[in-house]
Amino acid sequence: MDTQVTQPLSPPRADVPVASASIASALLPFAALLVVGLAFPLFGGGYWGVIATRACVYWVLVSGLNLVVGFAGQIAIGWVALLTLGAYTTSVLVAGNVMPAWPPYLALAASAVVGAVFGLIIGLPALRLRTFYFAITTLGFATIVTQVALAWQSVTGGGVGVPGPIFPPPFSSQWGFYYFCFGLAAICTWMTANIAASRFGRALAAIRDAEVAAEASGISKPALLVTVFLFAGAAAAVAGGLFASLQSYITPDAFTIDLSILFFIAILIGGRSSIIGPLLGTILLTVLPEFAAPLVAWSTFLYAVLLLVIVLVIPGGIAEMLDFKNRRPLESDRAIVPRPELVARLFGAASGAGALTLQQVALSFGGVKAIDGLDLEIRPGQVHGLIGPNGSGKTTTLNVISGYYAPQRGEVRLNGAALPEAALHLRAEKRIARTFQTPRIVGSASVLENVMIGGTIDGQATFVESLLSLPRHWRDEARLREAAMLALSTVGLERLAQVRADRLQHSELRFTEIARALMLRPAFLLLDEPAAGLSVDEIARLGALIIAISRAGTGVLLVEHHPDLIFDICHHVTVLNLGKTLAAGTPADIRSHREVVNAYLGG
Amino acid sequence: MVQSIILSGVAVGCVYALIAIAYNVMFSASRVFSFTAGTLGMLGGVLGSLFILRMGLPVSVGFVLALAGGAVFGIITEIVAVRPVLKSLDQHLYVLSTLALALMVQQFTAIEWSTEPQPFPRLFDIARIDFDQQFWLPMLACAVSIVGLELLYRHTLIGYAFLAISEDNYAARALGLPERGLRMASFAIAGAIGALAGFAGGEMLLAFFANAPMLTFYGFVPVALGGMGNNRGAVVAGLLLGLFQQAANFLVGGIFASVAVFTVFIVVLLARPDGLAGASLRRRV
Amino acid sequence: MSITRRQALASGAAVLATTIAKPAIAAKDPIQVGYLPALTGPSSSTGVGINRGIQLAVQEINAAGGIDGRQLELITRDTQSDPTKAVNGAAELTRGQKVSCVFGPVNSGESLAVVPLLARTNTPQIHPCWVDTLTDPKKFPACFRNAPTNQQIGGAANRYVTEVLKRKKVAVVSDTTGYGTASVNAYVPMLKEKGAEVVYQGNIDAANPDLKPELLRMQNAGAEAIMPWSVNAGFLSRIINTRGQMGWDVPIVGQTTLGSGQTAALLEKQDFWAKVYPNNFRPVCFTPDGKMTDRTSAFVDRLKSAKIEMGDTLLWWIALGYDSPLMIAEAMKSVGTEPDKIVGYLNQLKSFPGVYGDISFTPDRHDGYPDEQVVMVEANSLKNGAFKLAPGYSA
Repeated sequence: MDTQVTQPLSPPRADVPVASASIASALLPFAALLVVGLAFPLFGGGYWGVIATRACVYWVLVSGLNLVVGFAGQIAIGWVALLTLGAYTTSVLVAGNVMPAWPPYLALAASAVVGAVFGLIIGLPALRLRTFYFAITTLGFATIVTQVALAWQSVTGGGVGVPGPIFPPPFSSQWGFYYFCFGLAAICTWMTANIAASRFGRALAAIRDAEVAAEASGISKPALLVTVFLFAGAAAAVAGGLFASLQSYITPDAFTIDLSILFFIAILIGGRSSIIGPLLGTILLTVLPEFAAPLVAWSTFLYAVLLLVIVLVIPGGIAEMLDFKNRRPLESDRAIVPRPELVARLFGAASGAGALTLQQVALSFGGVKAIDGLDLEIRPGQVHGLIGPNGSGKTTTLNVISGYYAPQRGEVRLNGAALPEAALHLRAEKRIARTFQTPRIVGSASVLENVMIGGTIDGQATFVESLLSLPRHWRDEARLREAAMLALSTVGLERLAQVRADRLQHSELRFTEIARALMLRPAFLLLDEPAAGLSVDEIARLGALIIAISRAGTGVLLVEHHPDLIFDICHHVTVLNLGKTLAAGTPADIRSHREVVNAYLGG
Repeated sequence: MVQSIILSGVAVGCVYALIAIAYNVMFSASRVFSFTAGTLGMLGGVLGSLFILRMGLPVSVGFVLALAGGAVFGIITEIVAVRPVLKSLDQHLYVLSTLALALMVQQFTAIEWSTEPQPFPRLFDIARIDFDQQFWLPMLACAVSIVGLELLYRHTLIGYAFLAISEDNYAARALGLPERGLRMASFAIAGAIGALAGFAGGEMLLAFFANAPMLTFYGFVPVALGGMGNNRGAVVAGLLLGLFQQAANFLVGGIFASVAVFTVFIVVLLARPDGLAGASLRRRV
Repeated sequence: MSITRRQALASGAAVLATTIAKPAIAAKDPIQVGYLPALTGPSSSTGVGINRGIQLAVQEINAAGGIDGRQLELITRDTQSDPTKAVNGAAELTRGQKVSCVFGPVNSGESLAVVPLLARTNTPQIHPCWVDTLTDPKKFPACFRNAPTNQQIGGAANRYVTEVLKRKKVAVVSDTTGYGTASVNAYVPMLKEKGAEVVYQGNIDAANPDLKPELLRMQNAGAEAIMPWSVNAGFLSRIINTRGQMGWDVPIVGQTTLGSGQTAALLEKQDFWAKVYPNNFRPVCFTPDGKMTDRTSAFVDRLKSAKIEMGDTLLWWIALGYDSPLMIAEAMKSVGTEPDKIVGYLNQLKSFPGVYGDISFTPDRHDGYPDEQVVMVEANSLKNGAFKLAPGYSA
């Protein structure tokens, strides 16, 4: 533990009362739906019972798909393929066409496994392909599955299809089955809500909206996507089994592209990174055609109009409409007042790392030599400035150090050991953190959540533990939340913790990024033009903060255009020009260096 | 038999190639892939049938009107579904807005025009031979479009302007090029090309609303395989796709033909995510 | 102004009188019949044709005073050719609206899902779908079919090809829909049993613009007849056109849609329509001496005076639609609207004289269409929606 801090500190404002009030208001819609759903048989007739059951079945699928589309931002339009797979697997196993008949629950579990596997297969191209290409491949899969169902008639019955499973009592009656589906829908809601409020949910949003920042925080996109594809595939397949039971008979033509588009639109109408939004969206889209019986022929047309309107008018969807707390106006004269004295408390003991060195690093893009034989050494506890005209290779150098690019010649070493090349997401575990020239944040998440993303790799609960809300998940969350609040207090933004990040001013976003980087308790902090767009006061405070960070033992690389900031706080300065070192030394040396003055500083 | 497969394969491949070019032209102008490309093809066939057969207009008039209809729909797409989402940070919204617009037009056509395929007129009243007009019309249309676009982009001032806004948007605007007007014009051109695809292929594919989703997919495959924005690659890939599809139809039958096409597409794309000839776009950090 | 006691009593008595009078009016509530057509979506041509007949029949029934003074109210839910919407619609009709009886769905894929659902509420159902498993007097005691089964349809076509046209080598082809593939899979064994050789059996994508390679393949295999099974007019017209372009002289024998106005509209030359023999139904065809039966003539006249379009569809669809409410109305006039009574009545139905056919049911057989009324016709003899029987046809 730290021994340096002696004066008593006022505890950072943790906004705890606001947090619990907002949790209560977030739970209210779910509680209301739970009550309505449980009491439904009392007031809804048999017909609305069928519709309600259908909404529950669709939600089981959509809740899983929501993690893929709404959270991870992958445009998986053809997910109906997994509904088809689940429906046929359950039905065929229960009907006993291929092997002796299975009990329905076991068949449902088996189709969950099949769904997970195929969810992975269908989802994997997302790791390699661009957005639109991936969307088209999922459509391709949807067609393939339907065609195989049509052709493989010894198993699936071909065009004539196969009867759906009937679950044993008490789930064999209409209302019994409704409660079965409702129960599964409630469990899926609970599980996905747990993930949403975990480091996995935040990491998914980070991959979607700030992929490079996510990787820099140590988040592995492939690992995370694999996990959600498995889950979403399993959920969709279970929904398929339930669907087959509801229909009582399935044929390939029941699995239309229209259905797939319905699931997708429900999520987008609902809003991203939300559970309640897509839930309400699913209910809305299931129920709407029933009210518009004379317009039934036009229902897909209406869906499309609704989607277009929502995309154009409220891209945030239902979730944005329900986000009342973010409608409250913010104070207009907000000042960012960092508290550099908290840095030591945030970091704990110094890590005792060695230096970060670049030796003869060179990198060209096409014919342009971005860096041409660069030597650089960043020592712990010091601020090293990197300046130079535009195009001199400053940001490229930073990108090489952070692992975004692999150098074509030369090496980057930490403590004497070479760092793995082009491995951006491995830097976080080496405690190398960075910020970006343009702030990369998740606009739809709160400031606190954005900062918590920085601490993702420190979480210990597994995906399943978070899914099931086990104790280790809660301990993680508490710890991350506390650390993030401390980081926000350090940079002076604790009062904005609950505010949605896209409402912040530019300078506040820059400090948010710094708070996120501090969550790693970095041995090395790489700052890419952090003062750009800041006022004079803010630059001074930034300077004080950076000095405090370096005093806590971190080695800071500061890429900047503001000479005053550089000369005020740096211990060493390197000047780049055309990819080569023009000069290196203390600020005093540089200020008087003739060539630097001519090339860059002027006067 | 082989001759027949090659003829129909190349012909339908040219239709796919034209749709791919429509995708590419829209992409060059806006960095957006619009789901409306297949719908443009469908409209070319439906409008052609509407003007020439139902309304009895002469073929040339019907042709011009059908292409004009496509151009109008292209402009509507730009105004309603593309321009509003270009400003937003969220890059994926364009998928939704163009998908929604495409769906609206398809459903409207299904309900108001017909859910069944309707006849498309025979454009030139000459006897049917092996190398029939239903085959060489799409090939001619494709060739004319390619040549026309090359001439436009490389030999006219406005073509240079189009290239400029697609290569470097900021610089072009800094030079004072009217970006919005040029983008609308690009979408109008793409609309006309898409409609041309449907019109030239009308006798083969008939005037059918369900052509839209089919062309959306099969028109995109050449784009993905030929490289984004690369028209020549799209044509080559389109022809290969048409030939492969007809061969598969013949060799493995209707059900497995579509499975074969999708599977090959997915496999090739996974092996070469930027297409067989495309260059990867670098992310900028 | 104050109300005197007398005025209050008088108005109270008037209110009471009208309330007591109400039950008598209530007995004249309309009888609700549910109807599940596919009016839109990919398989809607059948539903659109049937719909014309049903609407006319319901109008006529109501104009003649309804059923015991009660009007017949048709509650329609368009299934959009989608089994999920069909299930939703069926649930609304039986549990929401509580209809006395349901007609439809008209497509097999939708019926497969709806029949078990209606069985659970014991709602009498009459449907015209062909898939064989759609009736089962034991599992679905209230479900009746007033149209032929796949076996009857395929049987008539196969008999014509093998026994009348005396062809031994046959090409059987369908599109890639559920109906098409199921039909081919059912009919090929039936053909083999009759001693024919199936030299070609395939499923062709209906969107395939060029069928020449497939027909060449059939020709190379020595096919002497082509039997297509599809309701897709585009697909069928391409087969007919390609045969004509190739100048290949073989008969085409198969699905009724081969003879529809929509198929005809897509033909390159009307000549190509020669030697095309679709299924059809004797009551709505011309007799060998070129006349229509009296019943059918009267029906066609009624259609013409009601300005109902026949040219772009098939007469038997309209006739089937027309017969169904009449059959239900007769049942209700005889035994009332209780489900068990209706089922009991239908179980004893003998030769209900429909325009489309004479329907009979027994407690063990809920497939009401007689074998002998399924016939083959000559497609290019189409006039007023009716056809002449195919040459050599005697059965």
